Amino acid sequence: MWWKILIFAAMSAVIIAAFATPSPMNPAISLGDAEVYRIFYFHVPQAWVASFAFVLSMIFSIRYLKTRDMQYDTKAVTAARLGLVFAILATVTGSIFAKMTWGEFWNWSEIREVSVFILLIIYGAYFALRSALPNAESRATLSAVLSILFAVSAIFLIFILPRLYADFSQHPSDSVVDSEGNISMGGMVAAIFFSSLAVFTALFVWIYNLSLRAVKAADKFMPEK
Amino acid sequence: MPGSSVNWAAKVLAVARKDITAEFRTRYAVNSILMFALVTLTVISMALGLITPDSDLMAALFWVILFFAAMSGLAQVFIREEDAGTALILKLSTEGLVIFFGKLIFNLLLLAVLSVIIVPLFIILLKVSPQNWPVFLIGLALGDIGLAGATTIIAAIVAKATVKGALFTVLSFPILLPLLMASIEITKVAFGGGGFGDISAALQLLVAYDVVMVTISVMLFDFVWRQ
Amino acid sequence: MTTLYKIVTLVRIMLKLEIDNLGKWFGRRRIFEGITLSVARGQSAAITGPNGSGKTTMLRLIMGLSYPTRGTVGFSEDGRKLDFDQYRRKLALVSPYLSLYDSLTALENLRFFAKVGGRVVSDEEMRGALGRVGLGGRGDDFVGAYSTGMKQRLKYAVALLKDPAIWLIDEPSANLDDEGKRIVHELIRDAKDNSILVIATNEKEEYSLAGQFCKLGG
Repeated sequence: MWWKILIFAAMSAVIIAAFATPSPMNPAISLGDAEVYRIFYFHVPQAWVASFAFVLSMIFSIRYLKTRDMQYDTKAVTAARLGLVFAILATVTGSIFAKMTWGEFWNWSEIREVSVFILLIIYGAYFALRSALPNAESRATLSAVLSILFAVSAIFLIFILPRLYADFSQHPSDSVVDSEGNISMGGMVAAIFFSSLAVFTALFVWIYNLSLRAVKAADKFMPEK
Repeated sequence: MPGSSVNWAAKVLAVARKDITAEFRTRYAVNSILMFALVTLTVISMALGLITPDSDLMAALFWVILFFAAMSGLAQVFIREEDAGTALILKLSTEGLVIFFGKLIFNLLLLAVLSVIIVPLFIILLKVSPQNWPVFLIGLALGDIGLAGATTIIAAIVAKATVKGALFTVLSFPILLPLLMASIEITKVAFGGGGFGDISAALQLLVAYDVVMVTISVMLFDFVWRQ
Repeated sequence: MTTLYKIVTLVRIMLKLEIDNLGKWFGRRRIFEGITLSVARGQSAAITGPNGSGKTTMLRLIMGLSYPTRGTVGFSEDGRKLDFDQYRRKLALVSPYLSLYDSLTALENLRFFAKVGGRVVSDEEMRGALGRVGLGGRGDDFVGAYSTGMKQRLKYAVALLKDPAIWLIDEPSANLDDEGKRIVHELIRDAKDNSILVIATNEKEEYSLAGQFCKLGG
């Protein structure tokens, strides 16, 4: 019970802080209105959680393949479902930002947006496969294998995408990540950002646990094919 | 025990030969793949009309054609077994990896046939030609190996699903993305006249990709095949 | 000499199929439970029961193509449990849902399955197998042109060439005419003394082929 209240309070604090404090972006070098950059406090944690959920799902998939215990498959899907939600959120907030600063909803040369989009596609493909497999055992095994294949491919993408986009980066991380790639955020910006990161992660864990309990309850009371 | 033992390579070749024979007699996969590539090539050619796009665009278009043609035909090798009901006896007759490599070889041959036919047509219809043939051919070869190598296990997965056709493309795309990017880059250099020095990074990535994807597929294949 | 023979026979009997308290559920639907059975080499079992009682499911569990919800099922040799690739080599399945390659000839099918299973078979051996199931002279016909009865016989020919230690037969007489049934029953009788035989059937005349019974669908 207190968990819920804590998350609610923390999230409220983050939201208020995100809007009440000065914008994280230096108005002198920002493209468009510096206020829009506040979305950074939400967009980046969402993208992070979406990726984290994918990795978590893959770990559960591996456990399933090793043990053949259906509970791991349930955990993998639950994590993936939530991950999908966060991936959608991250894509949408990224798109809003793009519209506000560059005037377009989408921009293929923006590497991080493309990465989040690819994550979205991966989730979509994962669920497309699952919905095409009526047999529970096949569904669990084959989607587990697919998860692992996607993860391997994603690792390659992490290496190749930056190479291809080296000349194009317009991502505003330049305000936060300097030319050596070191993250330098002002004290307050860092505090809000990392709090947001923590809160979003906690939010994920909380909803994940709730979903898991819901699935287990449904299993008990509703007949399954 | 009747007869003497047959070694692993012979078993793999037996599978490949069986698929080639069956394909020769029915021609489902090869027709599909060739027709798809030809149609796509024709559409692109007509759509471009008098425009002569730059060599970078040509490189991308080349791989678009190959990608979609591959998607239309590479899954046949497993779907055919499931649809005809022969997957069961195959499962009981030999090791999973024998099947994997046999089918992989078949898909590679399919892609080789496709490449041999499409490249001249591409050059003729779109009036563009690689300036650096060795680079182009290496890129094509490694790209084909990656295409077949990474999608064979996906084909096995899709064969067990209900929707099959569109699903193969949906599942393969995220997996093939690194391959497509690296291959397009190498082909761009080939069309543009660069040399091996320009493609060393992409080449390394492509080789690593090919090796890793086949290895991972080998490790995971039995899980899929036994389902 | 007889002691040697006894020892050799004992060793050959060591291959066993063991089913212990086997139960299978699909979600909430119970197929069967509490099945315990042991079939050693030279022994045979018949699985009987009405349509839909789980005979085919049972065979799939035995083959390892499906996993038990409860209990265990597996093959062991000399007390050691065999994994899939080990017992698969010794096992042959004949079943209505087992299909052969329509676009290959009967002989091509036989040669392929032997080769891919790691065996080289001569032309005589293949024609011999075809003859034994009553398909002599039809070796060069495409299996796609075969009738269902002929296809069923060909499946037995494929199994014969494997010379399996384990015979699993689902509906031995499916699609067969009287002559086919006679051939098949004779074949089974010849094979069962030397192997583990499990048949799933509803034909009463086939019950006599088996030493043990497992009735499903209570």
